[in-house]
Amino acid sequence: MSNKLLLGRFIPGDSIVHRLDPRVKLLMSFYFVGIIFLADNWQTYLFLFLFTMVAILLTKIKLGFFIKGVRPLIWLILFTVLLQMLFSSGGTVYWSWGPIVISSYGVVNGIYIFMRFVLIIFMSTLLTLTTPPLSLADAIESLLKPLKVIHFPVYEVALMLSIALRFVPTLMDETEKIMNAQRARGVDFGEGNIFQQMRAIVPLLIPLFVSSFNRAEDLATAMEARGYQGGEGRSKYRVLSWQLADNLTILAFALVTVVLVILR
Amino acid sequence: MTKGRSAYRISILALFIAIIIIQNFVPLFGYIPIGPLDLTTIHVTVIIAAMVLGPIDGAIVGGVWGLITFIRAFTSPTSPLAPLVFTNPVIAIVPRILIGLVTGYLFNWLRKTHLPQTVGMMFASLAGALTNTILVLGLIYIFYRNPQVAAVYHTNLNGLLNVLLVVVATNGIPEAILAAIVGPLISLPLQRYRKD
Repeated sequence: MSNKLLLGRFIPGDSIVHRLDPRVKLLMSFYFVGIIFLADNWQTYLFLFLFTMVAILLTKIKLGFFIKGVRPLIWLILFTVLLQMLFSSGGTVYWSWGPIVISSYGVVNGIYIFMRFVLIIFMSTLLTLTTPPLSLADAIESLLKPLKVIHFPVYEVALMLSIALRFVPTLMDETEKIMNAQRARGVDFGEGNIFQQMRAIVPLLIPLFVSSFNRAEDLATAMEARGYQGGEGRSKYRVLSWQLADNLTILAFALVTVVLVILR
Repeated sequence: MTKGRSAYRISILALFIAIIIIQNFVPLFGYIPIGPLDLTTIHVTVIIAAMVLGPIDGAIVGGVWGLITFIRAFTSPTSPLAPLVFTNPVIAIVPRILIGLVTGYLFNWLRKTHLPQTVGMMFASLAGALTNTILVLGLIYIFYRNPQVAAVYHTNLNGLLNVLLVVVATNGIPEAILAAIVGPLISLPLQRYRKD
């Protein structure tokens, strides 16, 4: 079960990408989703594909891991592509039947959507494979800092995020344990009609919530016993450092944007 | 009992967020796949957060669900409809925040009346679940009257409204019933953790 979890798929390593500042990786992943919409012809998609492949090579992680990320979604992606192919008109019409039209425009668009999906999934997989979840939380905290101007509780949000990420695997184990315990008592998960399936969730949720409340209680007491008095005025143990490689990454993405604008 | 401490509020919200994250990634727990729009059980978590912790905290937990839906629509969509629809932050996030607010405030208001607490919880849960379904499908109708979305539902544009109404019946009603039964069932014993 846990190997399907996106968050837990961090693979320790010592490549250039692993050592990048998590802020850069997070920002550039979002930026990549943005610039992928700039691509509108085969040259631009080929270029982005090559760029993603170079990024993957730099992580020194096997390509198989990235393909594994796409595999559970492949039917969904193909379904979306098929829809795009069947229901967009324009260009040369190859075949038509009622509202369903297969046209050159539709086919080309379908291929582009497929590429877009795969590239976005590759990039987000790259982010989660090379960045430990807690570094991501640190990065989000650091990036949210400007919001302090509008009295957004940045420290609280960052702390909440760190605690949530820390407890995902713990609660996950617990969920699995409760599921197995209920199975041993005769509950069938994922079988029967809708109502039976939903009813099976109840004996899972109740113990999970009660234990969460107890955990929160214990955790808060332990935090206060160690002198926690709120977010303001604390120092940091994990300090993020911005290095030359981070500037180069941003430069690389800027270059990619320029090339995309020229090629389109 | 420890009420209104910042450390406690942060930890309990964090654990609710962790539960939301787990429901998103454990199969058969958060989403039960049927047809183009999955049946979800995540709204129950948001509703419980809203009733036990209060409307604002419910809205925060709902907002996290919305954000995860939004990010997943790009990176690992849950249903064929998600990449078309939930890439719009308005559809992904606003209904989920409103679940928390509607449930929380309605429950607080009903608590002041003479209704038994369980009945108040049932109504609040029902309202919360319906808020989600109606807003998501309503916003789909407003923003996405295009052939692709219609095709996911195997219909044409003119039939889209009818199909969305059918989805309200097939997904919205089971979800609402689930919320109305499970919401009070779980929230009632958790009431002692309320901080007020």
